[in-house]
Amino acid sequence: MTTVVGTSLKRKEDPKLLTGSGYFSDDIKLPGMLHAVILRSPHAHAKIKNINVDEALQSPGVVKIYTGKDLEGKIGRIPSSWLVPDCNLKEAPQYPLAIDRVRYVGDGVAMLIAEDRYTARDALDLIDVEYEVLPPSVHQKKAMEEGASLVHDDVDNNIAFHWKAGEIPEEIFHSAEVVVKESFHVQRVAPSPMETRAAVGQYHPATGELTLYCTSQNPHIHRMVLSGVLGISEAKLQVIVPDMGGGFGGKIGVYPDEALIGYAARDLHQPVKWIEQRNEHFMASNHGRDEIIEVELAGNHDGKLTGIRVKNIANMGAYLSTMGPGVPTIDFGLMITGSYDIPHASCETFGVYTNTTPTDAYRGAGKPEATYQIERIIDLFAREIGMDPLELRKKNFAPKEAFPYTNAQGLVYDSGDYEKPLKKALEIVDYEKLRKEQEELRKEGKLIGIGLSTYVELCGFGPSAVAGAIGFQGGVWENSTVRVHPSGKVTVFAGTSPHGQGHATTFGQVVSDKLGIPMDDIEFVFNDTKAVSMGWGTYGSRSTAVGGGAVSMAADRVVDKAKKIAAHELEVSTEDLEFEKGVFKVKGVPGRERTFQEIAKAANYAWNLPEGMEPSLEGQAFFDPENFVYPFGTHIVIVEIDQDTGEIDLKRYIAVDDVGRVINPLTASGQVHGGIAQGVGQAMWEGVVYNDEGQLMSGTFMDYTMPKARFFPEIENSFTETMSPVNPLGSKGVGETGTTASIPAVMNAVVDALAPFGITDIDMPLTPEKVWRAIQKGREQA
Amino acid sequence: MKIENSHTFKGISVEMLWNTLQNKEVLRGALPGCKSFEEVEEDVYDAELGINVGPVKGLFTAEVRQVEKREPEFYKLIVHGKGKPGEISASANMRLEDSEAGAILTCSADVSVTGMLASVGQRVTGGVAKLLLGQFFKDIEKEAKKIVNL
Repeated sequence: MTTVVGTSLKRKEDPKLLTGSGYFSDDIKLPGMLHAVILRSPHAHAKIKNINVDEALQSPGVVKIYTGKDLEGKIGRIPSSWLVPDCNLKEAPQYPLAIDRVRYVGDGVAMLIAEDRYTARDALDLIDVEYEVLPPSVHQKKAMEEGASLVHDDVDNNIAFHWKAGEIPEEIFHSAEVVVKESFHVQRVAPSPMETRAAVGQYHPATGELTLYCTSQNPHIHRMVLSGVLGISEAKLQVIVPDMGGGFGGKIGVYPDEALIGYAARDLHQPVKWIEQRNEHFMASNHGRDEIIEVELAGNHDGKLTGIRVKNIANMGAYLSTMGPGVPTIDFGLMITGSYDIPHASCETFGVYTNTTPTDAYRGAGKPEATYQIERIIDLFAREIGMDPLELRKKNFAPKEAFPYTNAQGLVYDSGDYEKPLKKALEIVDYEKLRKEQEELRKEGKLIGIGLSTYVELCGFGPSAVAGAIGFQGGVWENSTVRVHPSGKVTVFAGTSPHGQGHATTFGQVVSDKLGIPMDDIEFVFNDTKAVSMGWGTYGSRSTAVGGGAVSMAADRVVDKAKKIAAHELEVSTEDLEFEKGVFKVKGVPGRERTFQEIAKAANYAWNLPEGMEPSLEGQAFFDPENFVYPFGTHIVIVEIDQDTGEIDLKRYIAVDDVGRVINPLTASGQVHGGIAQGVGQAMWEGVVYNDEGQLMSGTFMDYTMPKARFFPEIENSFTETMSPVNPLGSKGVGETGTTASIPAVMNAVVDALAPFGITDIDMPLTPEKVWRAIQKGREQA
Repeated sequence: MKIENSHTFKGISVEMLWNTLQNKEVLRGALPGCKSFEEVEEDVYDAELGINVGPVKGLFTAEVRQVEKREPEFYKLIVHGKGKPGEISASANMRLEDSEAGAILTCSADVSVTGMLASVGQRVTGGVAKLLLGQFFKDIEKEAKKIVNL
């Protein structure tokens, strides 16, 4: 009966955004609105000796200046929301503004509020802060050494947590025929959404209510956390997220800044707006990754893999951010075997405090890192035993018959058929022919590389009981209300909050099919904690799998009730009715029918309802899935490297992803393309760099290279569909697959191209200089 | 960040160069973008310098200290500067040597910067600092020649 699910409808959201009619945080203009700017530390580590605000306060138009000391006891600490258990986690306090010590370049020192933004920005320079500079700890390995400067005095060796999962019997590595080792640095990157962070606070003195407009991927988490931080009832705090230009994980975090703006609006009884500047974003918005991963893979000469041992030293930055601790532990450590049936695995993760910007989830969050190490080491293992990396993968895939498959770390993969997308991808590139061509071209001195990534990732958070067991401070179910108005038009409320994903389109397709009404009859309400019952956010590719599940269930409830009313009006039992394309029909009696719109009116007028039935037509559902979802697929990258310049030419990019049921191939492909751009960006161009003093060297787009459309060939993407059994739609997640898969695919292709020079690894990002140097070194050694 | 630059002052003796470099009036004229230059105690100066490093512009207030003076061959400058775009700390070894052509002044400095100067200006700071030093040497040379010709 499906009509629109599975079709490539154009995004409902686009006309508004493309014609400049979007309404973003900075579009908000309220009467009497003031403007806030934050003074940020120029030092990575320093004591605050004195702050003199006198001159700044005298500047015309300046209304108020707050320092950390001014706010002591008035705003609570900013907590982490992922307190991973059993790892001796030490959560050091993070205050909304630093009180006596700054711990990274960008740490907030003072907030200045003025009548307009320019006055505020100019006056900020007049605040005089006297610092006593302390030695910083910047790099995570050095920060753990004896004698390293302590970021927090009571956290020995700067170790925020030490987490372990899985054990490997001694004999596995002793008796292994082959052990391959490598250390990878999945470098620090900046999420860099098109819109930076923002917040606008508005206090209503008469009721004591506070409305906070802000950039957030999870408005209800912001409300929950900030109500505690600000000491205000959740029932009096409304968080609204206007249109938002991307997040990529960087807007999951509940930051000090939103709390400060809420506080100031309440304190001054005037609306206050703060818009993050781009250079501020580079230093004060959470970064992603920065994990040094040491991996050992054991197996036999015939290619049978027997065990994997991983140590991850993760740079957490100066404070533990909202989801920070979960990323290199749960998200990473339980997924280290990837799509392979490796019987034994162990992971040990150190989370380390440093004098750098905190790190948090960034597109993929732990899974790109896990996928990088397994997809890279498996290539190195294949080279060691002289086997085609494709053969080694196929030999070790978790077999189709084994699903639901339990991996060595205890996770149960919901469904999978890893050969299926692989086969399709190989057909697209004609793998055998490609390898022969590569051989021929090598003879001509051309460096062609073929890189594979046959990934699986964990997403669609998830069962709430599991969230509790792994220390997440909240639930991870979703909710939706489908409200049918008397005309038969529908408003859908959904808890996951879109900011570019196209929820209104994909969820609309689900509702349209369920109720048999046109897409144009369906409107959505998202991103408002007062309107939407609850929601746990948009991250971890969970919106369709979990949020879509809730929407689907709520729509089913509407149909159930409508059917009872239709049966009552038509004087038959519900079993005698069929519901097709928005019409309830009595089976075998043509013409005996009621349209959905007629029932909507009947339900709302309530003139003639079945006995005991409550009026109105509205369905609400709260969906807590029984398991995560595990999308998978094969990405193949073909590169050519110029050996004189080290430049990499991306010749082809093939992605075959299996994300379960695809609601809208167009928007799903959009997610895949964007994800690939971000993953290739990490592999080839992006990188946050600090110098030894903890100064941020990559603080602008002049120094931080973002992927651009012209850097890419046409991305040849397609899907296979292996349904997930854990949600009503059968869908998995699609938002992060591209990022997770592409980073090792690119690196494998580049290392494959450079194999004639004996090169086995290069640090990311793959700048031409690094590639050129590796070639020179390879030539010298040859 | 290490910055090194040297200049040969043709026809000028080491002693003459030393005296020129110790002359406050000369320094005020020769320091790039110098708005003020006052001696607050012996060998300690407060200066205001307008600096323009690529995209970063700003007025810096600096304390400059001369230490380890060994007339006429060596002194060390310790500079702490502070301005809107960030802070600068520098320690510069100034070495004066005789040669047939004239006195050679070699400046080797260790410079660290913070804030926007670091995140925006770092890539150009080294080059600009060299340029400014070159400018400074030329101005000193001009002043020294004036004194010689008096």
